[in-house]
Amino acid sequence: MRLEPTKELLYKMADDLLILGHRSSEWIGMGPLLEEDIAFASKAQDKVGQSLAFYELLEALGEEDPDTVAFSRKAENFHNATFVELPNGDFDFSMMRHFLFDNADALRYQMLGDSELEELSHVARKFTGELQYHTLHANEWIKQLGNATPESIERMQNVLDTALPYAFGIFEPSPYEDELISSGVFAGEAALQVRWLEAITVVLNETDLKLPNIEKIAPQYGGRVGQHTEHLQPLLEEMGEVIQTDPKAEW
Amino acid sequence: METLDPRLKRLDLLTEGESHKEKLDQLPTYEVFVQVKEPRAYRHEGCVHATSREMALIFAKEQFSRRGMCSGIWVVDTRDVMVTDYSENELDIYDKISGSDTAGNTEYTIFHMIKRGTQHKCDGVVMADSPEAALQVAKNRIERKKAVLNAWVVESAKILKTSVEDRSMWETTPKKLFREAIDYKTQEKLNEFKSKQS
Repeated sequence: MRLEPTKELLYKMADDLLILGHRSSEWIGMGPLLEEDIAFASKAQDKVGQSLAFYELLEALGEEDPDTVAFSRKAENFHNATFVELPNGDFDFSMMRHFLFDNADALRYQMLGDSELEELSHVARKFTGELQYHTLHANEWIKQLGNATPESIERMQNVLDTALPYAFGIFEPSPYEDELISSGVFAGEAALQVRWLEAITVVLNETDLKLPNIEKIAPQYGGRVGQHTEHLQPLLEEMGEVIQTDPKAEW
Repeated sequence: METLDPRLKRLDLLTEGESHKEKLDQLPTYEVFVQVKEPRAYRHEGCVHATSREMALIFAKEQFSRRGMCSGIWVVDTRDVMVTDYSENELDIYDKISGSDTAGNTEYTIFHMIKRGTQHKCDGVVMADSPEAALQVAKNRIERKKAVLNAWVVESAKILKTSVEDRSMWETTPKKLFREAIDYKTQEKLNEFKSKQS
């Protein structure tokens, strides 16, 4: 099998994690309570750590070293879904994003655990434990806020409606979809999306939140092919500030 | 005549029709118990503020088990913990407890503190009909090697526990050295800085 399909898959996973990890780290010191500050910091570390593992797999496939790949690319060379680059907004949006993204990511790892590509299945299985906490954390918050006061329910419903088109963008089909499926590397974005919808529906059914008619949702595609919102480039500049100032800096 | 009792004067006692109970400005607290590994006893680690037991568990996991090993966490609403007096001079708190040892139908979990400054550890469960009765039952049926300084009694059903399936939460990436203070080589950097100063 050619390397391009695998590389494309690894890049989009790694970029999702790096960017969302950075967004999560922006909550440090800003969380609604100390415990939540710590939880966000921890999730941020997990996600950046996971992205590193995928960048290392890419390096083994002939790509540049992880630091260069992470800190020196322009926005148009990033393959993350636009969903993860959107600003944190209020806690309601951030938590909804985590709920929608983390459930997709946990299922992605589960599916990749069966990948024919041994290095990939090994890494994916290693991360299922971390993801278990991420989904537990997000699902519990959604249950809390989705069953609380009328204001809380209304705000969570609004962010759910806003976030869903972007969340659907996570499953933007790859140009190599058929090749990935037939070679047994990955069962595909469409299969993942079906499982994801089931998983989030189970949680949402325990709340007063309603899943809108999904037939009418227009997915926000483009992130996977480098078409990003105006929010990504400033994030990358902030993230790469040290390495741009002094490429030899150690920290 | 106005009382001179300092305890009463300090208290600013309620007058009729007036409530001094302030609305909580913080979330309630939950006590957290951690098991480092099987088959060690669950040990009290501290508390977290949360809106529910479920949220308390979410917070407790990060607060008390993000580093090092862990095989399980229990959380319980602080208000559901019955606390005995403290004994002193190595006297066993159970010596103060009298009454008949009558087993009942509700399970209570018993935590013991053996030494001041150490944490409470789970020492077993007993069946009784009230927390007070649970202490009487524990007195005779829980083996103690040392005098107990203080005991906590909690109805077992009030404790939210992680399950065996939850354990994979603690199987995190072993390579994550950046989570450990040792990875930052602080002492080395400090020494280097000091040698430059002198």
